[in-house]
Amino acid sequence: MPQLEIKDLHVSIGDKPIVKGVSLTIQSGEVHAVMGPNGTGKSTLSKAIVGHPDYAITSGDVLLDGRSILEMEPDERARAGLFLAFQYPSEIPGVTIANFMRAALQAKLGEGEEIDATAYYKRLYQKMDMLKIDRKFTSRAVNDGFSGGEKKRCEILQMAMLEPKFALMDETDSGLDIDALKIVSDGVNQLRGPGLGVLVITHYQRLLNYIVPDYVHVMFDGRIVKSGDKSLAVELEAKGYEWVKKEFAA
Amino acid sequence: MSTAAPSVDAPSVGDFTAERFQRHLAELKGAPDWWVTRKRAAYEKFASLPMPRRTDESWRFSTLTGLSLAAPESAPAASVELPTLHDVATTARLSFIGNRLHQSSGLPAELVAKGVIVTSFSDAARHERDLVEAHFMAQAQRLGSEKFAALHAAFLSDGAFVFVPKGVELTDPIVVGHAANGQAAFPHTLVVLEENASATVIDLFGGETPLAIGANDLYAGHGSRLTYIGVQNWAPSALSFQLNSTLARRDTRVQSLNLHLGGRQSRHESLSQLQAPGAFSEMLALTVAREKQEFDQRTLQVHQAPNTKSDLLYKNALLDSAKTIFSGLIIVDPDAQKTDAYQSNRNLVLSENAEANSLPGLEIQANDVRCTHGATTSRLDPEQMFYLRARGIPPAAAQQILVFGFFEEVLNRLAHEGIHAALRGLIEAKFRE
Amino acid sequence: MSTTESETLVSGIDQTGGDFKYDVKYDFDAGTGLTDRTVDYISSVKKENAWLREFRQNALKTFFAKPLPTHWATRDLENINFDKIRYYLSSGQKPKRTWDEVPEDIKRTFERLGIPEQERKFLAGVEAQFDSEAAYSNIKDTVAKQGVIFVNSTEGLREHPEIFRKFFGKIIPTGDNKFSALNSAVFSGGSFIYVPPGVKVSHPLQAYFRINAENFGQFERTLIIADEGAEITYMEGCTAPKFSTSTLHSAVVELVALKGAKIQYITVQNWAPNVFNLVTKRGVAHEEAEIKWIDCNIGSRLTMKYPGVVLKGRKARGEVISIALANDGQHQDTGAKMIHAADETTSNIVAKSISVGQGRSTYRGVVHIPKHLRGCKNNTECDALLINSNSRTDTYPAITVRGDANFVQHEASVSKVSEEQIFYMRQRGLTEGQAMSLSVNGFINDLARQFPMEYSVELKRLIDLEMEGSVG
Repeated sequence: MPQLEIKDLHVSIGDKPIVKGVSLTIQSGEVHAVMGPNGTGKSTLSKAIVGHPDYAITSGDVLLDGRSILEMEPDERARAGLFLAFQYPSEIPGVTIANFMRAALQAKLGEGEEIDATAYYKRLYQKMDMLKIDRKFTSRAVNDGFSGGEKKRCEILQMAMLEPKFALMDETDSGLDIDALKIVSDGVNQLRGPGLGVLVITHYQRLLNYIVPDYVHVMFDGRIVKSGDKSLAVELEAKGYEWVKKEFAA
Repeated sequence: MSTAAPSVDAPSVGDFTAERFQRHLAELKGAPDWWVTRKRAAYEKFASLPMPRRTDESWRFSTLTGLSLAAPESAPAASVELPTLHDVATTARLSFIGNRLHQSSGLPAELVAKGVIVTSFSDAARHERDLVEAHFMAQAQRLGSEKFAALHAAFLSDGAFVFVPKGVELTDPIVVGHAANGQAAFPHTLVVLEENASATVIDLFGGETPLAIGANDLYAGHGSRLTYIGVQNWAPSALSFQLNSTLARRDTRVQSLNLHLGGRQSRHESLSQLQAPGAFSEMLALTVAREKQEFDQRTLQVHQAPNTKSDLLYKNALLDSAKTIFSGLIIVDPDAQKTDAYQSNRNLVLSENAEANSLPGLEIQANDVRCTHGATTSRLDPEQMFYLRARGIPPAAAQQILVFGFFEEVLNRLAHEGIHAALRGLIEAKFRE
Repeated sequence: MSTTESETLVSGIDQTGGDFKYDVKYDFDAGTGLTDRTVDYISSVKKENAWLREFRQNALKTFFAKPLPTHWATRDLENINFDKIRYYLSSGQKPKRTWDEVPEDIKRTFERLGIPEQERKFLAGVEAQFDSEAAYSNIKDTVAKQGVIFVNSTEGLREHPEIFRKFFGKIIPTGDNKFSALNSAVFSGGSFIYVPPGVKVSHPLQAYFRINAENFGQFERTLIIADEGAEITYMEGCTAPKFSTSTLHSAVVELVALKGAKIQYITVQNWAPNVFNLVTKRGVAHEEAEIKWIDCNIGSRLTMKYPGVVLKGRKARGEVISIALANDGQHQDTGAKMIHAADETTSNIVAKSISVGQGRSTYRGVVHIPKHLRGCKNNTECDALLINSNSRTDTYPAITVRGDANFVQHEASVSKVSEEQIFYMRQRGLTEGQAMSLSVNGFINDLARQFPMEYSVELKRLIDLEMEGSVG
């Protein structure tokens, strides 16, 4: 069964250590939530796992199905089944969503293989309908001039199309109103299943009412300081992060 | 510096001597007197003007040593490939080889009956004298190439003439092919749209030539809509000048897009005059600069009347050791209140030896205006690259997607799908070279 | 010379700040017009060495040889009559160290401009130049003890040649332009500053340049060297009374920031509307050094000034913050030059101009990133505000970037004061003029905040004065 294992991971930006030893194992089919105050390294953790060049892994390892991915290029990691739903997705003027997704799916195929255009569009439209995205969006440029909610829905659309083994969702709830939050969560819930592991990164417990996690981890100052089931999220919501800070501040 | 060469200020005519001009006139059978008179005046002007100097602001950053009027011409080629746009339906086609009319095909009879004219310039000079005389190079050159414009006017022997009368709307484009045959080329296209008319005119330039000086006159009458597309794809040895002139009257919409691909050194000058309220000129250009090509682009948006609008977007992609210059100026005259003017130059540098120069300028003499300009020069955005790679797209494919995305932003402004696709095909071909 | 005080002074209302004049007796006068004898006279009065005499004479030749730059600049330059200008006027060669020693007639001027008071309040040192020479120059003991040198140009070249000759005329060569050549021929006054390694001068050093005489040309020369890791803020203020004939101010300012040093150079000038103000300013920033020009130009008939930074060392930073206000009959032709010459250098230009009445403001910029540099960045923002329907603004940047590892961005906009905003303020009871002043101050607020507090208050007052009468 697919497994994503993070082993004592340390990450720096420039000379500054941000993630200071995180260990976490996600089995396929599980949903883990990482919560914590701003600036504790949650986003850094997800960017580092997918290989962003600004984030240097100084020690530790990340294993996908037992194999280290740290030597892999970002696109190799993606093709191996890792997906990051960005907190701030890039705007790419001039490149339509349809062409972009097609290029990404094409990249997964072997030499000489071509995507079947009819089947591709059929699937694309089906996923768009599921996420309540207007079909006109296929000819719009990726994220270009999108509202916050549209960007996030577009991220989930890509996740649905690419069918990753593990999805990392970086503050997917930020900037969403209640309706958009519901659509995005419904989308993720429909993709949940035995073939997908999910890591949800969030500041607020709110999202976890919609995407109910199997495990909750609290991150503080670059480390996971507490783990539990979904009741931990409720406890956090009630007591606030000050509680964690007091307990774990060095 | 202190060689015994003649003063740089001394007018130079290169190969275009007075004798050659006389021969040209002699060969130009049946030209009406008024045209010959204009030609003589143009030749005198050409011969009296100096070549561009290093201190000329309008030639800042240009490689002046490349501006030769004495490049060897070859004997006229026996067969020449005509430049075409694939899969684009047309209203009419004209083609020229070596400055002479080669083919003229098919203006539908009902359009002829409505008074539409698509013919050669030499024919129009005889039969549509009033129109041609009034609009031919009516806007004074003021962007630096006065000498070369005069040379064009002196040696021009043929070109395209398009006239669309009041209220007539043409849906498919009129396509004009200009093929050079080894000789100096002087293509010209003159377009006159009367009140509420609409048309799309496409100029295609290609073939071997040491020196090409092309010019157009676009006149958009009251309420008319004109789309002009120029595709400069001369052979790599060419020194090219492309001088575009737009006059926009009340409530017009003129869209021009110039695609620059060919030539060794290419100077493009584009002037838009917004002469009456409601005039709108959209000026677009795309350049793919490779190897040691130099593309030198100078533009002017002149707002002469209140409530006029202009929108300029010039995008250059630079590879190898290529060089581009963009120098644009928005002028808002003192009474042109409520002007809305925009000017943007984006340079995408894809090689460490390429050089992009940008001179975006404003001269504003009215205060109730919206005028902005911007210029950026950068490589591909690393965050965008990462985003694509995070979706599994390998680096080379990701780069290609982003470069075409860079151009699509301009091509998307075209309403005509077929032209859009054909131009994209030309850009892709240049990248495959 | 007339001995009457100017009318504004008689009226007793100091409306326009610097527009007053006391009569002064000059002991040294090079006469009117410019020849090699003028230059010799200046050299002799200053008892200069042979090399400096020769430097001046060569510069004079260059000045005569160079044409006016009217192929790009305004033809108004042709209205400067170099034969009618007085090139050197002073009452003595040695600046006084205490205000008590300064001759009464000169001291009155600076007292009225508030210089001694400012010195007491917040400055580390002051130099006050009156026409050609500094009348007063003093540096606080605590700062002098750290090894900081703060003298005028004559003293600098005479007393500390080992420090100043190495850089003098090297950042801005004589032949850089016609006016740098003129300055090199006839320069007098200005500040020479050296800050030793690691010394961070916490309070600003200030120079005040005052033109008092009619038909006069002021040509001060400033050279500031911040040694490795040193930090210094220098401020200059300039004024002149209104005369009916034109006056010329043509300074050369050279800055050198050695490794890790920081120089901040602040100018607030409020020249009378008859002054041609043609100044060349440039700095060289070495590795990880920073040079920041903060420049405010008000008044003058024509100002041409484009402070520059040559980013010579890795990770050097350059910045120009510029505010210009052009009123009727004035042309502020200002801008910035950023020459990148090392990897990972960054530069930033923010220029805001206000054109009032028929005033004209022009931005000219150069950003140059040559081949094979990597990781260089420039950001340029130019915003022009046009107050009246016949106000004018121009923008002429020139940007060259070679290679695919750099990022340059230029943006400019032109706008007028929002009528909605004015209406809103008037509904709250402000007059149209007050509302306009507030709005204009709002336009430059983010830049004004970069000036030291005392200067930004002054700036606001100057803008209020300039905005008077711009509406209705």
